[in-house]
Amino acid sequence: MARPKIKPEVRTETSAKAERRWNVIVRNDPVNFMGYVVVAFVSVLRVSHESAKRLMRLIHEEGRATVWTGDRERAEMLALELQQWHLDARLEQDA
Amino acid sequence: MPEIRLTMTAEARTVLSDLLRLIAPAAARVAVRRARIPADDEDVTGYWTGALEAHASEEARLLASAFATAKGDPAVILLRNEAQALGFLRAISSVRLALRELVFNDIPDSRLEASEDLDDESLPAEKRHALACYACFGLLQQSLVAQLSPESMD
Repeated sequence: MARPKIKPEVRTETSAKAERRWNVIVRNDPVNFMGYVVVAFVSVLRVSHESAKRLMRLIHEEGRATVWTGDRERAEMLALELQQWHLDARLEQDA
Repeated sequence: MPEIRLTMTAEARTVLSDLLRLIAPAAARVAVRRARIPADDEDVTGYWTGALEAHASEEARLLASAFATAKGDPAVILLRNEAQALGFLRAISSVRLALRELVFNDIPDSRLEASEDLDDESLPAEKRHALACYACFGLLQQSLVAQLSPESMD
């Protein structure tokens, strides 16, 4: 017997809403040195020095970069920690 | 982590300490003001603001204490563990950002990056003094990164 469709559809919608992804964006700033930004990324994002340098260069060249994408709670925590490193970090919902 | 030493002349220590007394309280306020804090959830906004304020205040204390205990000529700041060193790094960044925003926000970024322009005699004496301190804090920060994490330098 076919199941009624209403409930699964509602559940899917709720699930999609809950799974919206958030980006942590860091913008270029003229005050913080490149080496300092690399130390911040290694410390907060737990990435390798090479990955941190790639992100730093991208921000320097493009003016901004997405440094992390995922669930909102973790994105909030990372954005706050990056702000505690005095980087111009913000949250943006993934398009 | 081996102990990290930051060395400066006694005169530099005195000048930077004097500036810190003036700018450190404002640096904490600037850190909170310039942060992009999510505003769509009251609880998150409150927690976020409180965390930034507490962090900034702790940094100001750490910096003041480090300079106060740096005696002798040359004056030496000792950072005994990684947490202290990272805190000191962040604190210097906070002070430089506050100077940038509060004292010489009228100077273009490109000019700030050219150190030979920092001693421009057409600028008021107070601004030149602040610019010199800004550059000194930058040197301290670079020295600390080079000792703490040489692989982070290009």
